Amino acid sequence: MKIGIRKLQILRRTVQISVLVGLFMVPIIARYHNYAASNEIDRVVEKWDGTAAGAMISTLDTAIRLLPGAEHERAGIMQRDTDAAIAYAQQIRGSVWSADIGPLSLTDPLAVAESSLASKKFPWVLAVGLFIPLLATLLLGRVFCSWICPAGLMFEMNDKLRGVLRFLELPPRNLRMERSTKYGLLAAGLLLTTVLAVPVLGYIYPPAVLSREIHDLVFATFDRAEHGRFGFWVGGMSWMTFVFMTIIAIELFVSRRWWCRYVCPGGGLYSLLGTFRPLRVKLKHEKCTECVLCVAACPMGLNPMKNEMGMECDSCGVCISSCNDDALGYAIAGPSKPIAQTSPEAGP
Amino acid sequence: MKEYSRREFLRRMLGNTTRAGVGTGMVYGALEMRESRTPPQGMRGDLGIVRPPGAQIESDFLSSCIRCTDCADACPAQCILFFGPEAGALHGTPYIQTDEKGCTLCMKCGPACPSEALAVLETKEEVSMGRAVVDERLCVSFNGTGVCGACHTVCPLRNRAIIQDHRNRPNVDVEHCTGCGLCEEVCIVRDRRAIRVVSGRFNISEQEQEQEQDREEPERDQTEEATS
Repeated sequence: MKIGIRKLQILRRTVQISVLVGLFMVPIIARYHNYAASNEIDRVVEKWDGTAAGAMISTLDTAIRLLPGAEHERAGIMQRDTDAAIAYAQQIRGSVWSADIGPLSLTDPLAVAESSLASKKFPWVLAVGLFIPLLATLLLGRVFCSWICPAGLMFEMNDKLRGVLRFLELPPRNLRMERSTKYGLLAAGLLLTTVLAVPVLGYIYPPAVLSREIHDLVFATFDRAEHGRFGFWVGGMSWMTFVFMTIIAIELFVSRRWWCRYVCPGGGLYSLLGTFRPLRVKLKHEKCTECVLCVAACPMGLNPMKNEMGMECDSCGVCISSCNDDALGYAIAGPSKPIAQTSPEAGP
Repeated sequence: MKEYSRREFLRRMLGNTTRAGVGTGMVYGALEMRESRTPPQGMRGDLGIVRPPGAQIESDFLSSCIRCTDCADACPAQCILFFGPEAGALHGTPYIQTDEKGCTLCMKCGPACPSEALAVLETKEEVSMGRAVVDERLCVSFNGTGVCGACHTVCPLRNRAIIQDHRNRPNVDVEHCTGCGLCEEVCIVRDRRAIRVVSGRFNISEQEQEQEQDREEPERDQTEEATS
């Protein structure tokens, strides 16, 4: 049981990191698609030899040519089958905000809510993209936050830096806010979206911001390479990066996991959708020795010892792997009720 | 003169320096903002913003576009660019900078769009992003400084959207022109193109145009009714 949970944590981190790597890969694949469509791959690889842009394209080209059917024999040597390469490159596009992976179409529920509220229409393409994320959230809760969200990964790494600060005897502050702030922000944002007929929450939602910034970074790097200037170019990113950095700084010095706990409108929507989820973290009271390790570990600042893993819990399983007595575990169950009366939150 | 201890002196100096720095920064920032009031690249004054093919009318497009990057990832011509946050509500929406790279009408962005901001169109002819307008004073075939015909050669709807006469002078047919901007991209008059795309939906029927105008300005109609 214990080992299984550890493996689950490793799997979770792997998924998070691959999503972040994927955010960089998708724009590179898009540019590969562009160059392949104009038969320029060989010229580009030769011209940009030894630069970041050239390395990205040539590595991707090597990888795609390993796929079945991507090469065909012509004049005695194996050459790239451009049509097959384009077909492979078209299989994936988008970001965590909205993605197409092969036949799958995925769209963030917040994007769907905003688009439909702003335009007062609900075209069926939105419903197609909504289906899988909505189903996953209804069954599993806020798993997007703990498994997919690239901003969440950065915030978790940032959380580890707080431990370093504490080790250096510079204990960071931990300001607490009302958790209902995020529902307020979600409601206000959706109201503003409806009134202004412009989706406003997507501008500040960190995974969407990060997706756009990374996309701009990669595209700007290639644009510069086409003009003969090489290296990753940060100038392609906009000042929304600084907004994101501000959140990081607040989480580092002022309040632990501030954004995810108290502010994130997308997390709020996922919380609301996952209120009646069947999969929950459950406490076995008879095994619990009240060592408070899980309370210290919970990134969301909840108290697993009081069994209050309601809608706020993102089912990340950190509390389960922190428990030395095997008292916590995933279970199929209804809404959990706090065993004690709600008291001021414990936790670091 | 008042005397300070060393600590107090350092503290005050640091505080004043910070205040002066922040103040100067704010003044410079304000000046910088006033200087950089030039519109972002995609906004081209009276010519308007050219949206990717299949885009709804501007107000509907702004509300249903979710600001993802799917259309640019699907575009093989690299013609779809995005507004930055300095463009306000336009932040993250796609546009086509027609003098840099025109749209090749491959029709791949429509199916990629996860909302219906870009509709799925069947044929190239249905696209209506704008119309090309020829500046007869600049065009070398018109003003007699040369013979060109580049725009006619590159036009995806050759001999329908751009018709050429015996002196290679282009004439744009509004009924067919999709506003793809390939003519503007290749125009040999480089500083200010002799053929430029004005955004808008021109090649649809008059009835549809009227319907869209009604949807664009419902408030104005209501206020006019109220005043009359």
